[in-house]
Amino acid sequence: MSSNSTSSRSRLSLGRLLRLPETGSFIGFVVVYIFFAILGGAVFVGAPGWSSWLNIAAEVGIIALPVGLLMIAGEFDISVGSIVPASSMTVAMLSGHYDLPAAIGILGGLSVGVLIGFVNGLLVTRTTIPSLIVTIGVMFAVMGLTLGFAVLLKGSTSVSYVPHPTAKYLLGQFINYMFNVTILWWLGFAALFFYILHISPLGNWIFALGGDRESARNAGIPTSKVTIGLFMASGFCAAFVGVAQVMTYQQAQVAGGQAFIFNSIMCVVIGGVLLTGGAGSIIGILLGTMTFAVVNQGVFFASLDPNAGSIIVGALLLVAVLSNDSFRKLAISAAAKKS
Amino acid sequence: MKFTKTFVMAATAALMATGVMAQDIAVIAGSVEDAFMDKIKKGVDDATHMVEANGGSVQYLRTQNYENFGPDLVTLINQAVAQGVDGIAIPVWVPDAQIPALQAAAAAGIKIMQYNSGLPVKADIGAINYFGSDEYAAGFGGGKYLAEKGAEHILCHIQVPGAINLEERCRGVTDGAAEAGAKVTVLNTPANLDGDVTGTAEALKAEFIGDSSIDAMVSCADFGAAAGANAVEQTGLDIMVSAFDFSPASLERISAGTQTMAIDQQPYLQGFLATSMLFAHLKFGTEISTDPVLTGPAIIDASNVDAVKAGAALGAR
Repeated sequence: MSSNSTSSRSRLSLGRLLRLPETGSFIGFVVVYIFFAILGGAVFVGAPGWSSWLNIAAEVGIIALPVGLLMIAGEFDISVGSIVPASSMTVAMLSGHYDLPAAIGILGGLSVGVLIGFVNGLLVTRTTIPSLIVTIGVMFAVMGLTLGFAVLLKGSTSVSYVPHPTAKYLLGQFINYMFNVTILWWLGFAALFFYILHISPLGNWIFALGGDRESARNAGIPTSKVTIGLFMASGFCAAFVGVAQVMTYQQAQVAGGQAFIFNSIMCVVIGGVLLTGGAGSIIGILLGTMTFAVVNQGVFFASLDPNAGSIIVGALLLVAVLSNDSFRKLAISAAAKKS
Repeated sequence: MKFTKTFVMAATAALMATGVMAQDIAVIAGSVEDAFMDKIKKGVDDATHMVEANGGSVQYLRTQNYENFGPDLVTLINQAVAQGVDGIAIPVWVPDAQIPALQAAAAAGIKIMQYNSGLPVKADIGAINYFGSDEYAAGFGGGKYLAEKGAEHILCHIQVPGAINLEERCRGVTDGAAEAGAKVTVLNTPANLDGDVTGTAEALKAEFIGDSSIDAMVSCADFGAAAGANAVEQTGLDIMVSAFDFSPASLERISAGTQTMAIDQQPYLQGFLATSMLFAHLKFGTEISTDPVLTGPAIIDASNVDAVKAGAALGAR
């Protein structure tokens, strides 16, 4: 830790920058953005392009945040894929089919998510079944229930709903005709989860959970409560996206939502969260989500074959995991040298 | 077990030879979870009144789900054969599994009526007739409609790349539009966007902005129309939105003018005609000279959306 020459200081700050867990994700985002900015041209760099990938990023991002937290705590949540349609169906049923006030519909939709999250959490903490399996099981059960109730009550797998203007304004409007209001909600959720993970004491518990569950419990962390809470958060966020979708598209469908499962995991992993838990950051998840969205939308603006988008996302995922490992090793070796 | 089966078959054959029997038919359909099948059932139910009034009977058999579809269908076919029915009305969804079973049924003297699906294999199962849509013809009708409405460059959206029936639809759209002088571009969105309205809306938006000559779109999926309407709202461009199949929400959009049309294949007619015409063939020896009978495309637009809504409320559309 010397400070006697400028060259060593700059090297030091570069080193510190490289050791930040988000650096890899940030470089990835910049490279991908520049790549598509060159191919996509002025339209992609302008408002249409930004709104396009931000709209995508907001939806998957709201789900990726709690899914990332769960992954940091060493758990998976696959059930988000079925919570999105379950919640949007609930809203459309309550407020569209039964004509109840929008607030009750929204509350109903969100409760469905929180309840499913609670069930996930209970099953994961009370049994020895891995969360991957628990949430796959719950996903299928919820899919079946959504379909069953829709056909039973409505006789159709799709329900339309014309939302109340206030609800539409808050959850489904397009600012300046292009920017979905969910972008703002996404940033709000990001701030909240940033506080939880990086500022509040809960954050350390979450990291500890992913690091070593046994030691975490021995250290006096209420591991079950934290785990159940995290599953409820991901249920809530997935349900929130479902609610926002009804407000935006004025319809709910039984199918759909499955895309969120892999997309959210991909955003989180590209964002540098360790698949086995114990490491990751909110900034990283945000960057991962943005990278994912830019690639997904960039291919359409760049007039590439859309299948190329899937190839790039897949490659990006592998590169992200590899580079995260290298950055981690770099960080550890740098820390070791220092001491 | 084997004895009973042989006995039933022999008894059926004997009855057929004498010609004094009640014509019993089985209608086999898809999953109980599929709302589309409910519209087919409505048609079957209505035809059943006519069958029963003439001394026959109808058995409606459905699979539980689509998970083990081929084998499940074969089980239902064998069940119908074992019960000694005189005719079976059935779609062919899984040709490899269904054709041998249906050929065996036909060998036992059972008449086959085909509906909804599998027109290319109609000859293989020796079906009397076919009531359903033809993907290419449906696309052709849709493409022609849009071109005649003034579209010059139509985007045909495929939500599952590589699905042969969807490619047939867009091939039909291309030829139908070409007849009225419009050109068609096919957009394949990656499979991970299937069912994702936001993702598809943004993909369509990019296409709309990227090529300003596009003035109409038709999606092979109903949710594609929701996505298209949203993309149009976002960009403020003047683009006609349409789709294959429809939902309550798309009927609302057609009423509100944010969707131009939907291409329907009228499942009610498929169920109704397959059941009643199979029975009439067995009982009265009727033949329909039109073969196959196409129940689609039926275009739903602002001119008939109210009638369709009324039909939908009654469970027939």
